Amino acid sequence: MSAPAATAGGDADRPIVVVIDDDASVRAALEDLLGSVGLQVRVFGSVREFLAAERVDAPGCLVLDVRMPGQSGLDFQREMSGAGIHLPVIFITGHGDIQMSVRAMKAGAIEFLAKPFRDQDLLDAIQLGIEKDRIRRRDAAALAELRDRHASLSPGESAVMARVVSGLLNKQIAAELDVSEITVKVRRGQVMRKMKARSLADLVKIAERLGIE
Amino acid sequence: MKRMPLVLPKAPLAVLPVAVVVLALGIFVVDTVTELEVAVAVFYVAVVLVAIGAFRRRGVILVSVGCMALTVLSYFLTPVGAPRSGLINSLISLAAIGVTTYLALKIASAEVAMHEARAQLAHIARVMTLGELTASIAHEVNQPLAAVVTSGNACLRWLAAEPPNVEKAQQAVGRIIADANRASEVIGRVRRLARPAPLRKEWLNVNETIQEILALAMSEAEGGDITLKTEFADDLPPVLMDRIQVQQVVLNLVVNAIEAMAAGGGQARSLTISTARDGPKAVRVSVADTGVGLEPAALAHVFDAFYTTKKEGMGIGLAISRSIIEDHGGRIWATAQQGGGAVFAFTLPTSRAEVS
Repeated sequence: MSAPAATAGGDADRPIVVVIDDDASVRAALEDLLGSVGLQVRVFGSVREFLAAERVDAPGCLVLDVRMPGQSGLDFQREMSGAGIHLPVIFITGHGDIQMSVRAMKAGAIEFLAKPFRDQDLLDAIQLGIEKDRIRRRDAAALAELRDRHASLSPGESAVMARVVSGLLNKQIAAELDVSEITVKVRRGQVMRKMKARSLADLVKIAERLGIE
Repeated sequence: MKRMPLVLPKAPLAVLPVAVVVLALGIFVVDTVTELEVAVAVFYVAVVLVAIGAFRRRGVILVSVGCMALTVLSYFLTPVGAPRSGLINSLISLAAIGVTTYLALKIASAEVAMHEARAQLAHIARVMTLGELTASIAHEVNQPLAAVVTSGNACLRWLAAEPPNVEKAQQAVGRIIADANRASEVIGRVRRLARPAPLRKEWLNVNETIQEILALAMSEAEGGDITLKTEFADDLPPVLMDRIQVQQVVLNLVVNAIEAMAAGGGQARSLTISTARDGPKAVRVSVADTGVGLEPAALAHVFDAFYTTKKEGMGIGLAISRSIIEDHGGRIWATAQQGGGAVFAFTLPTSRAEVS
């Protein structure tokens, strides 16, 4: 697999843990705990503060308090993907009930920890979250790369690719597009080259990932 | 049940015993110099009534016996008049003094019993309000405890590092101490509210008194997605009040407001606690919500005992609140807010020195 696209700053791959908790004591303690194991931490007192801050392009995860003035952690979790934030979420809460934790886990939370929690439980969840984010970022980067490649195709090539992956023969494609079979062959070669596909099977897989049927 | 020491707010204590003696001697002199036919001794009942305010039960009985003795003494010392009607007059006076003493003592003890019952009821209402706040209290205590545990773990990790980072460890311990103290303060505040406390009025700042219990209310409000705002007026004059009781009233109003909003629709939920001067002689505290509001019919009755609009209410919170506020010489009332919601407000009189 290709490496994630390089972004501004050489430290881009160093994970960052974001902590959002309205309680200053809890924030300070978490910042210190995570700092003591060498993690980079950014703390915020509210969701709004976090949204107002500049986002850092690095793998990471979000440690989110459930109960906060303004927007609650659970509500924020629901709106995150809409806001283009894909960080894995670890919930911490003063008094969570089962219903609340089920809701959070169903919405894709990594972990739901009741305060006070064991530090190792949190650190494990954070490790898991960061790992998940790394994979997600790598996949997203790879997909972006494929999109770029696909975008570099000419309209003709793109049309040929769509038909090739749907299983049509060159002759059939030529008839459908009303071009010569030679032209189809040439475009097909271009598609394989530009899309960096090693075989027809590879191209089909790429098309699937790009959502081309 | 423990008896509550009860000090009724009356005239300065040193004045009353003197008044009793002066009054008794005055009546004695007049009774002695006037003719026997004039029943001045009946006025000893006034002495007994004044004594009720100054002494305990035994003291009042002593005063009463003294008055009777003076009546008899006057009868023998009075030089002029008909001895026969004088004797009847004296007997009537003695009976009047005796009956007055008996009735006054009965009323006084009934008053004490009533005050005790009210104090107990206030305590029960307070504990019930606290009961509704348990989740908030748990949260208020749990938050610093979570910080303590996390800082403790961080501290261990700094110490286990190679080489140990003593400075970071010390900072962590410093935070642990501060957070533990914070947790203990929350518990202290709750315990003060939960204890059956005798009435103790002190000169206090209203803002600070409210601020002390705000953390509990705040936490409850957050749970219900409610924005809690405070609009405190500066330079409010001090008020002579019982801290716990006034906090109880505010807490009760806040809990009511939060419940009213929990029942309400999806409009913006906000709770505003404000303080202001109310004329030159009083301070006003208002709790405004954007909840379901109050029907005009309910407005007239919300402060009645056992009147409730809540499913699980007993209808004593506001009745107790009113008795507390009136006991402080203030007033409590409710108004409907335009566009939904209710405002509950009360006043507390400030010092008289302020006025002049």
